[in-house]
Amino acid sequence: MSASWKQLFFQILLLLVSCRHINTKTPGPTPPPLIPIDQLPTDVRSVVLKGESHTEKVELLNPVNLALECTWTGNQDKLPNITGLWRKNGEEVQNSSQTVLLENDQYNLKRVFSIVNEENLGSYTCEFGSKAKIDFVLAAPQIGEVRDKPIVSYVGDSVVITCKMEDTKPQPSTWNWYRANGTDKEQISTAQEPLRYEIKSEERNTKLVVHSLVEADGGLYYCGAVYAISTSMSHVKLKVINFHEPLKPFIAIVIEVIVLVAIILLYEKSQSKKNSAAGENGTTDQTNTLTQGESNGPEESSSMRQRKV
Amino acid sequence: MPPAEKSKLGYTPPDGGWGWVIVFGAFISIGFSYAFPKSLTIYFKEIQEYFSVSYSEIAWLSSVMLASMYAGGPVSSILVNRYGSRPVVMVGGLLVSTGMILASFGTTIMHLYLCVGLIGGFGLAFNLQPSLTIIGTYFQIKRPLANGLAMTGSPVVLFTLAPLNQWLFDSFGWRGSFLILGGIVLHCCIAGALMRPVNKHAQPKPKAEPAGCNGEAAEKVASSEANSQSDKLLSKENKEESKSQGCVQKFIDLSLFKHRGFIIYLVGNVVLFFGFFAPVVFLAPYAKHQGIDEYSAAFLLSIFALTDMFIRPITGILGNTKWVRPRIQYFFSFAVFYNGVCHLFCPLLPGYSGKVVYAVFFGLAFGMLSALLFEVLMDLVGAHRFSSAVGLVTIIECGPVLLGPPLSGALVDIFGDYKYMYYACGVFMLVPGIYFFIMHYYNYKKLDEEHRQDVAAELRTCEEAVQLRLRQDGKTAHETDG
Repeated sequence: MSASWKQLFFQILLLLVSCRHINTKTPGPTPPPLIPIDQLPTDVRSVVLKGESHTEKVELLNPVNLALECTWTGNQDKLPNITGLWRKNGEEVQNSSQTVLLENDQYNLKRVFSIVNEENLGSYTCEFGSKAKIDFVLAAPQIGEVRDKPIVSYVGDSVVITCKMEDTKPQPSTWNWYRANGTDKEQISTAQEPLRYEIKSEERNTKLVVHSLVEADGGLYYCGAVYAISTSMSHVKLKVINFHEPLKPFIAIVIEVIVLVAIILLYEKSQSKKNSAAGENGTTDQTNTLTQGESNGPEESSSMRQRKV
Repeated sequence: MPPAEKSKLGYTPPDGGWGWVIVFGAFISIGFSYAFPKSLTIYFKEIQEYFSVSYSEIAWLSSVMLASMYAGGPVSSILVNRYGSRPVVMVGGLLVSTGMILASFGTTIMHLYLCVGLIGGFGLAFNLQPSLTIIGTYFQIKRPLANGLAMTGSPVVLFTLAPLNQWLFDSFGWRGSFLILGGIVLHCCIAGALMRPVNKHAQPKPKAEPAGCNGEAAEKVASSEANSQSDKLLSKENKEESKSQGCVQKFIDLSLFKHRGFIIYLVGNVVLFFGFFAPVVFLAPYAKHQGIDEYSAAFLLSIFALTDMFIRPITGILGNTKWVRPRIQYFFSFAVFYNGVCHLFCPLLPGYSGKVVYAVFFGLAFGMLSALLFEVLMDLVGAHRFSSAVGLVTIIECGPVLLGPPLSGALVDIFGDYKYMYYACGVFMLVPGIYFFIMHYYNYKKLDEEHRQDVAAELRTCEEAVQLRLRQDGKTAHETDG
């Protein structure tokens, strides 16, 4: 009995502690799982460094106790001992500075980090003196294809915005959509405005459909792929324009075409009028010269043909 | 030696002058006909998302447009035969424009199929046939060059439309782009306005004063040569028309199916079109399959388009030379054969540089074939019957053109590799190439034979006529004396 009360108390304490980090304004991840730290699964990442620096990307989905192992083969000095330390996002991790001995021609640094939420993600660096370092970049799977150009749509029309997680990456547990509101993001809830917004999510892709657009709907939209550990964001810009916008170049082109066709046809009419006017005077001369010219032609070719035949 | 196409048109084509303006108009018209459907593929992804349809459903749009463009061929031919090229091209331009404008307001994918696919395709058919036909009426001696230049419209317009479409899409989305494209396509109407019907009465027939029997024989030789190569003299045509099988004959010349040259061309083309477009369609995917990145793969297509653009006028010039012109069918057979060889070599060339080499050679092959495609048909059937011929050819080619890419796609899916598809396409072009060589050798021989027979027959009748004349003169001389 008392053991389960202790557990419950411990869990409530954990909840209270973690509650302080939750900000209702920013779309944080879902509240951290109520699993005690020592019950998290463990994972190991190790890197052997031969040169001066290396960056290793680590993709995490769930909270984990991550053991990071760094092995350095050393440089030409091969000092018997060296100062090693850990940094998180550039800042030194407290009490991480230690002396590393040269064992089997290598220096080893190892530390276990508890990665439970988004704040624990980032860049972890093990440093050997100031000579060598290995960066571990811990992150949830990132959405690869980010569309850099805005989607253009029209007032009164509807628009479909999509987000996709590549097949090579693990699929998220769910998708969320947010709208930029000043510097913050506001989650879009289909329950609040079912007529305007529709979210269709499958495992790897999600679609946000916005109906009856107005110009104010333009701006940045964010899709979030939710993983246990954090949410990966991607953004798309929407531009809403009036139908008059493309109408202007269209009318300009139509006018240009009408003008050119009119010019061509009128020119032709004037040419034929000139021909018929000058016709009575000049045609007889023209036909005479033409017949002479042409009679030379076929006679030549016919004689050629005769010779060849 | 069977000569190149002689004009039994009843007049001398100008071979220049306003003809070059016509070539420019045809350049634009043909350019839009071929390049417009290809350039629309840029919008497919967004339209697919907007209407929530699958990729194959959106690909159907291209197919409907192409099918309607080829099926509209005979209708186009009939209209050109009746009304001439100019009104048909202008109506075609208006049709495509209307189709695109209506499509920009579309609410379902079916709406797009009808407007862009059916109406647009038909409009493009009304652009293609008349442009080719009118070149035949304006050019005789320089016709291969004119054809080559006009066919260059296709890659040039594609080159211009592709980035333009991308810019329109980024600025206006697909609806606005369709509206503006509806305006841009109206330039076909300008091309149509330029297509002044050729003045058949300004220059009299070049059969000038007969210089005795030799002159007459020479004229008849000329006409009989023309007979042997293509359609009969106008008088003979009138006889045929009076025996015609009802209304159909007046609108479209079905007697072409008895024409030896036409049948050779048709059979060969039906086979070669199976392997004609698929290699272009699958070039970029094949490159990506081999691990080449997207931009380099797209660059391959640009290389292909550039070489295509430059070889077409050059082919026209070559086709016009006195060595090639009389035997232009062999030049065409060579082009087909060369295409086949290119495709067979494609999978054997490794890496990106191999693909670049292939793109260059394929561009040359494709351009050569395209530039000559309609020129040889004109050469076989003559400018007078060309309109009907091209209508019949396009509607029969509709089948292989539509089936070719999906069949090739199926080959890729079955084997999981693109090389078998390229081998198949290579064979599909090699066999017609060899077939053309053999059949045209036979055809030229037959034509020579017929021509010799005609000449002999004419000389005999001429001698008889001269003898008859002498006897008559003798009689009259006697009578006057006596």
